[in-house]
Amino acid sequence: MFKKSHAIALVVLAVSLLLGACAPAASTAPQAAAQPMEVTRIVEGTPQIMVVTATPAPMAAAGSVQINGAGATFPLPVYTEWTYAYQYVDPAVVINYQGTGSGGGKKGIVDRTIDFAGSDSLLKDEEYTQGGDLQMYPMLAGAVVPIFNLEGFDPAADRALVLDRETLAGIYLGTVKNWDDEAIVKLNPGLAAKLPAAPITAVHRSDGSGTTEIFTNALAAFSEEWKNGPGAGSAVEWPVDQAGNGIGGKGNQGVAGAVQNTPNSIGYVELSYAVANKMPFAQMVNKAGKTVVAGEESLAAAMEDFAGSFSDKLTTKIVDGEGEKSWPIAGYTYIILHTQTMEDCVKAEKLLGFLQWALTDEGAAKRAAALGYSVLPEAVRAQVLERLSQVTCNGQAVLK
Amino acid sequence: MKYLPPMPNQTSPLRRLWNHGDRLWNGSLMFLAAAVLALMIAIGALLWVQSAGAREAFGWSFLQPTASPRWNPVADRYQAWPFIYGTLVTSLFAILIAVPVSLGIAVFLSELCPAWLRLPLSWMVELLAAIPSVIYGLWGIFAFLPAVVLPVGQFLGQTLGQIPGLRLLFSGAIPQSGASRLAAALILAIMIVPTITAVTRDVFLAIPSQQREASLALGATRWETIWKVLLPYGLSGILGAVILGLGRALGETMAVTMVIGNSAQGTLSLLLPGYTMSSIIANEFAEAVSALHQQSLVEIGLALFVLTLLLNMAARFLVWQVARKGPQQEARV
Repeated sequence: MFKKSHAIALVVLAVSLLLGACAPAASTAPQAAAQPMEVTRIVEGTPQIMVVTATPAPMAAAGSVQINGAGATFPLPVYTEWTYAYQYVDPAVVINYQGTGSGGGKKGIVDRTIDFAGSDSLLKDEEYTQGGDLQMYPMLAGAVVPIFNLEGFDPAADRALVLDRETLAGIYLGTVKNWDDEAIVKLNPGLAAKLPAAPITAVHRSDGSGTTEIFTNALAAFSEEWKNGPGAGSAVEWPVDQAGNGIGGKGNQGVAGAVQNTPNSIGYVELSYAVANKMPFAQMVNKAGKTVVAGEESLAAAMEDFAGSFSDKLTTKIVDGEGEKSWPIAGYTYIILHTQTMEDCVKAEKLLGFLQWALTDEGAAKRAAALGYSVLPEAVRAQVLERLSQVTCNGQAVLK
Repeated sequence: MKYLPPMPNQTSPLRRLWNHGDRLWNGSLMFLAAAVLALMIAIGALLWVQSAGAREAFGWSFLQPTASPRWNPVADRYQAWPFIYGTLVTSLFAILIAVPVSLGIAVFLSELCPAWLRLPLSWMVELLAAIPSVIYGLWGIFAFLPAVVLPVGQFLGQTLGQIPGLRLLFSGAIPQSGASRLAAALILAIMIVPTITAVTRDVFLAIPSQQREASLALGATRWETIWKVLLPYGLSGILGAVILGLGRALGETMAVTMVIGNSAQGTLSLLLPGYTMSSIIANEFAEAVSALHQQSLVEIGLALFVLTLLLNMAARFLVWQVARKGPQQEARV
């Protein structure tokens, strides 16, 4: 009789030990690109833009070139669209881009396991040394927008919520605590009756992300206190968490979900996410003192503000621009390439061909704008194309 | 061997040597068993090696309890306490809620349930165990948190939060979204109830019916039979089931991340947002840029691994004690 209960206990224990051993290796769910794909593809054909409405499975031509990229999830919706459309431009090329995160992309390009990397954050000095001949190229700019949940706010009737630079930083610092704070009321006279005397719950990303990096870069530019306190990075220590009014959400959808479910809260997501999900987002008073709406135009203005301030690695921040039309919370997303040591010259040529197309094609720019991103303005694009033309393979220039 | 039909010359040494099937079989089984052990050691060693930098930089201060913990990827300063506390408090609270509930369901299923209801009810319980954790998380965010956790949390804050000894665990106002350690503990409790119930029910069903008959024949009521005979008899098995549940609670990542609020701070209250060890790893590992950040996350993995092992070993010891002592004591009574 004892034997039996023993046996049960042993079996249960064996299973429990096994499960216990497995527990730490918990799954990290891959972040899926949330944007639904449209059926209409815009593709450059002859001089005019050609619209391909059918979606036949494109046949890879014999002897096709496969190019692998990985990295940031921030531009993933655009890269997915672009690589798809590019199969009609050059059927010989198949381009895969995996959204593994900027960190994964940078590691991949340094270790040469991928052909190009996407990244929102900059390479460090030691990574440049390890990688040898790495170069970053800005491809797109994206905006980050504050989203909010105010009881009684009616997007149709009310004017949009307006915030200025100090107030936004103050909310995340925990110094602007309530919705009826003087600073907010002053910016939104029309909304004064609807701003409750309730504490602001500030929602932020819990996962490390380029979105957070852009947002915290902006906050650091807005406020000395933020710059000297939490600083800027893909993940930071949130003062508002310490104050007990912060919540972290995983991914854009996590932040958006938390904001939607928490009355009197504020959060930040990529413009592309807010656009795709038709969420109302706040307007900002920029450095020039003008109220601006996030969009293609204000993004382009922000990029133009900083067109002359690129480092020798072609990187720059585009937060808090001086221009009257500039959206203050924006950032570039970059492509990283090996400039001299790509091994396969055919692949190198195809890859640069794709990048050139993405930078210059009108259809590509339209798709990016529709998704809530902006391609480079002429002043910046010229610099990037110039640098791309310097890429060599076996000593020969790749782009003729 | 004794089950084989007798064969001539079976016992001759040469024949026995020739008959090497047993040895091969035993050897391969031993290899499989050893593989489990090797895997455990390999995982532990990998975590140990990969976290070397963080262990050197922070030493024991990484794991020590503190009221103002730092987790600052910008300044490269890390402490794991809020995550360790979050994992422990949510898992233990979940067990505290889940054990009585599952025990009740299991007793009902095996002892009291009318026969026609038993099968469908058992199926439902097992079906609950098969729901992916991300579904629990989504349901939690949109239904369970606003409808249940928020009012429960507010009630606990107004009642238990006023009692001096318990104030520490129930102080502060629960956020309007309901995202809190309490939410994580309740979701975990719901997730581990089916696991514990299913195993406990099987334990009860495995108890020989003579035990029940003997007890009833001595004039015991049904309640006395369950409480004084069946429960002690199956105690070691039930404890095993609880360990299974605890293992799932400790390692659960997705659902917890979705409802706990992911806020790394030093508060102790169940009503405030928190963070767990598995959540921080899942959240930050992909974009951990600095080497120290990555190593710190690996060290948290190591701590979780060791914590799981320790809890399992402690529980195993407990089961062993119960299995050894319990029946004898019962026999004396």
